[in-house]
Amino acid sequence: MKFVRPESPEAAASSLGNGSVALAGGTDLVPMLRDGLVQADELVFLRDVVPRGVQSGRIGAGTTLAELEVDPELPQALREACAASASPQLRSMGTIGGNLLQATRCWYWRLRFPCYLHGGDRCHARQGTHREHAIFGNDRCASAHPSDPAAALLALGARLQTTRRELPVADLYRLPTEENRNLTALERDELILELDVPTPDASVYLKAMDRRAWSFALVGVAAARFGAETRLALAGVAPVPWLLENPSALEQSTPLPGTAYKVEIARALVRRALASLPTT
Amino acid sequence: MARLIRTEKEVEGHYTEQWIVVDEDALDQWPAGPLQTVGKPAPRVDGRERARGEATYTADIQLPGMLHAAVLRSPHARARVRSLSLSSVLAAPGVRAVLEPGDSHVLTDEPGYHGAAVAAVAADTFAQARAALAQAAVEWEVLEPLLDPDQAVEKGSLVSEPNVSERGATERGVSEAEAVVEAEYRTQTVLHNSLETHQAVCVWESGRLDVYISTQFLWGVRATVAEQLELPPDKVRVVCNFMGGGFGSKNGPGEYTFIAAELARRTGRPVRCALTRREENLATGNRNSTIQRLTAGARSDGTLTVLKGDYVNSVGFEGWSPSTGGPMELLYACENVRVAEHGAKLNTPPNAAFRAPGFVEGTFGLECLMDELAARLDLDPLELRMRNYADSDLVDGRPFSSKNLLECYRRAQPHWARREEVRARSQGPWKHGMGLASQVWYGGGGPPSYAWVRVGSDGRVQVVTAMQDIGTGSRTAMAQIAAEELGLSLDRIEVSLGDTSRGPFASISAGSSTIPSMGPAVRSAAADAARQIVEIAAQRYHLEERVLSLRNGHIVSADGGSWPIEEITELLGEGQILGKGARGPNPTGMRTLTFGVQLAEVAVDIETGEVLVDRIVAIHDVGRVINPLGASSQVEGGIIQGIGHTLSEDRLLDPGTGTVLTQTLDAYKLPTIADVPEIVAEFVDRPDEHLTNLGSKGLGEPPIIPTSAAIANAIRDATGANVRSLPITREEMLRALRAAREREGLERTAETVGEVRSA
Ligand SMILES: Cc1cc2nc3c(=O)[nH]c(=O)nc-3n(C[C@H](O)[C@H](O)[C@H](O)COP(=O)(O)OP(=O)(O)OC[C@H]3O[C@@H](n4cnc5c(N)ncnc54)[C@H](O)[C@@H]3O)c2cc1C
Ligand code: SF4
Repeated sequence: MKFVRPESPEAAASSLGNGSVALAGGTDLVPMLRDGLVQADELVFLRDVVPRGVQSGRIGAGTTLAELEVDPELPQALREACAASASPQLRSMGTIGGNLLQATRCWYWRLRFPCYLHGGDRCHARQGTHREHAIFGNDRCASAHPSDPAAALLALGARLQTTRRELPVADLYRLPTEENRNLTALERDELILELDVPTPDASVYLKAMDRRAWSFALVGVAAARFGAETRLALAGVAPVPWLLENPSALEQSTPLPGTAYKVEIARALVRRALASLPTT
Repeated sequence: MARLIRTEKEVEGHYTEQWIVVDEDALDQWPAGPLQTVGKPAPRVDGRERARGEATYTADIQLPGMLHAAVLRSPHARARVRSLSLSSVLAAPGVRAVLEPGDSHVLTDEPGYHGAAVAAVAADTFAQARAALAQAAVEWEVLEPLLDPDQAVEKGSLVSEPNVSERGATERGVSEAEAVVEAEYRTQTVLHNSLETHQAVCVWESGRLDVYISTQFLWGVRATVAEQLELPPDKVRVVCNFMGGGFGSKNGPGEYTFIAAELARRTGRPVRCALTRREENLATGNRNSTIQRLTAGARSDGTLTVLKGDYVNSVGFEGWSPSTGGPMELLYACENVRVAEHGAKLNTPPNAAFRAPGFVEGTFGLECLMDELAARLDLDPLELRMRNYADSDLVDGRPFSSKNLLECYRRAQPHWARREEVRARSQGPWKHGMGLASQVWYGGGGPPSYAWVRVGSDGRVQVVTAMQDIGTGSRTAMAQIAAEELGLSLDRIEVSLGDTSRGPFASISAGSSTIPSMGPAVRSAAADAARQIVEIAAQRYHLEERVLSLRNGHIVSADGGSWPIEEITELLGEGQILGKGARGPNPTGMRTLTFGVQLAEVAVDIETGEVLVDRIVAIHDVGRVINPLGASSQVEGGIIQGIGHTLSEDRLLDPGTGTVLTQTLDAYKLPTIADVPEIVAEFVDRPDEHLTNLGSKGLGEPPIIPTSAAIANAIRDATGANVRSLPITREEMLRALRAAREREGLERTAETVGEVRSA
């Protein structure tokens, strides 16, 4: 396997595809390479070409979660979501760009069952063991999106700058279809460079886990208030970060037998998140 | 004099009768309480070495020319190998040898569980071995796996005959009861996940096999390997100096040792076979899941009239059916008890001993049942336990060699009295409560076990015995015992262990038996050496032996004389004093058990199902405590592991295929340091006057036994919800809360109906 350090974002982006894969902190990518979930002949190291650090609401995609969680400039929801993610070791290596693009934790997918998301014709989790899985958008793939920061950024209405375009974080994600099983809309040779995060009046992130640390969200709830409008977004409830129109939208969820408990948790966390936002 | 005696030996609840030869001075026990060294906290003698990374674990063994093995494992829970071709494997870079089914008894072409070993390869590097295995051409015939334990019992798919035992008449017990509680409890499959994965390095030299292995029983590995490979046991040397965790799963050689030995034989090179973390989660044993259908009945004053337990142990493809009903038989003075244990043979990975196998699971069911009964009778749970206190063993009528559970309960009182205060902390959705559970287990150890003690002319002492320290601090405890007997400070004692070619036979480190088996042997060896020092001193100073003793590094005489011990040992020059010691027999006709009680304080968020454990108090009775510091680490470790069992650990399978889904530590959730509550450890610390020259029992297992039930009972106290299934995930917690609300709703309706009727 080759390891390359490109000179510019454009050079990095254009070298991707055909066995070349972008490497940031490697916390998700390296295990996937080892497990044969990703095949690569060449790793394109992003450290020198993707911005790192925070400047007036703009976050370099190469900034680590550890740096974000302590940055006083950033909205509380994003800081809390970063701090609640993974472990200190992982947060020191893992970047926000990589976090948004991390692959699903669905055990069937990670064990390479030939499931729907891998291009197969059924979802093994549905009939199988699925206590960590989705309650929304789960008719094809029932995986639960693992990113805490993504839910926070979705509630905050963040926008992404890539090597090709600018787009709302909501548009980064898509549900899989018959023709296209991807969960993101990023092109293969496109890199995330920066994130633009609006400053809310107040925001918060709450997370339910199986243990007190180092655990993916069973349910994560981000709430951000901008004037009279409050936006809610959830982690761990759908194959992609999930925007909740309003609290009662939870009653339209479609849980599996083993995930109905998540609806109950989500109701409580949504209620608490809203209650915790100070009103003007 | 060598004595031939017939004695009983117990390991983890299995009793065997055996002849043994012991050569033991009948030593009186030391007085109770802390002595010079024994009974006082001693930091690990090897702590520095371990913290500095200097300790050599099996994982650190590097031998010249060593090859690395990788194992091809079945991806299917039940399958047949239709065809297997390893020719491309053999041709792959770095590969030196391959093994296929038929080359070793541990490889199979009819795997009965996901992870069963099928073939193996040795290569220059581990990466080459792994890459080569990917070239194996296997054609599988996948068969329907049997995964449902109840169905297995129905079909008669069992690993052994059901174990049924009954005392009294349970039918009568039920009819005499004024309150009866019936409930079904479930416990999950949990994994040992030792930090050092299962592994061995094997090397042949002139017909002799050296085995470096991460193990809990050097001599057991030696015997099993010798027998299997048809070698005289003396031709097998087993080495383990430091060990990174076993918890019961490293009692035998395991497939990896035989794979390494055979590959080493074929290549003429040392071979390491070290399992990966994933293999550790598949194929190294587990605590099997259980289904427990239980009944308890009592009179209104709390006197138990009946206990019944029907247990299904999901043993797996191989293994044995643990004594899940043991606590029900042993813990309470109930005349009518019936226990039936079924060991279901399934297409799942085999179980292995895991820190008090059977009793951890069985205590969860029994002690939750007792609290449900207490609630029904409106009795204090601690009171209910005291009212049914067993003064002797009701299984076969034997007296206990010692039992201080009542003292544990007494010491629990001040903690238990915090209950109101704890409940009063409840606020909003957070409900606080307190629960307790009792512990019973074996842990008396037994013979044979031997030790030598060597005293040099510099007055330094070496304890030599081929035992192992599995991380529990045995080295330190043995040094303390020798120091105490010889009247020397701890820093003058070295302990040499971990090598069957360097010391006498020593006990297994399982069944909480290391201290009670090895401690008395070390003490008797030290006493033998002390006796010789005194004999020499008597001649040197022209005094009678009976007026001399060893104290504080000195030989002291009754009339006030005192000489540094070196004055005598210096006379030896190159010579040494050699003391020999053996573990004596267990007390005849008595039952030796360990006891304890734990109290848990929890907080439950009734809206999200989150459970936080705030504090656990553990009070155990294990006879004399050798090292209070080491003992409290055992208690902390047991409780932390118990919290994992209770709240988050769960080995999950795909219900269709029997594939193990949780193979990595992000999916299999061990507790983190953030999940650890305040832990208070107390010991009764009274020597068992009938047990050996020490009066000490083992403590490795007791602390993990009552933790789950104490937490579950605290949850009931806090919320009124009966959690009956482990782990208590958010899902289980919310389910139990819902059931409690429904029950309460029904009761309220019933009450209203009642009121209307009576009006
Ligand atoms: C055990 C464990 C627990 C975890 N727990 C949590 C948790 O609780 N919550 C949570 O939110 N996350 C969690 N994570 C995920 C972790 O936060 C991510 O793995 C990490 O943020 C990824 O960042 P990275 O820089 O290491 O990405 P990499 O592993 O280097 O890359 C991940 C993916 O993103 C691509 N990529 C990276 N940067 C860019 C870019 N700028 N443009 C385009 N593509 C890019 C890579 O090609 C790759 O496909 C956990 C991870 C692990 C291993
Ligand atoms: S949930 Fe998605 S990733 Fe998991 S098995 Fe189903 S389709 Fe595959």
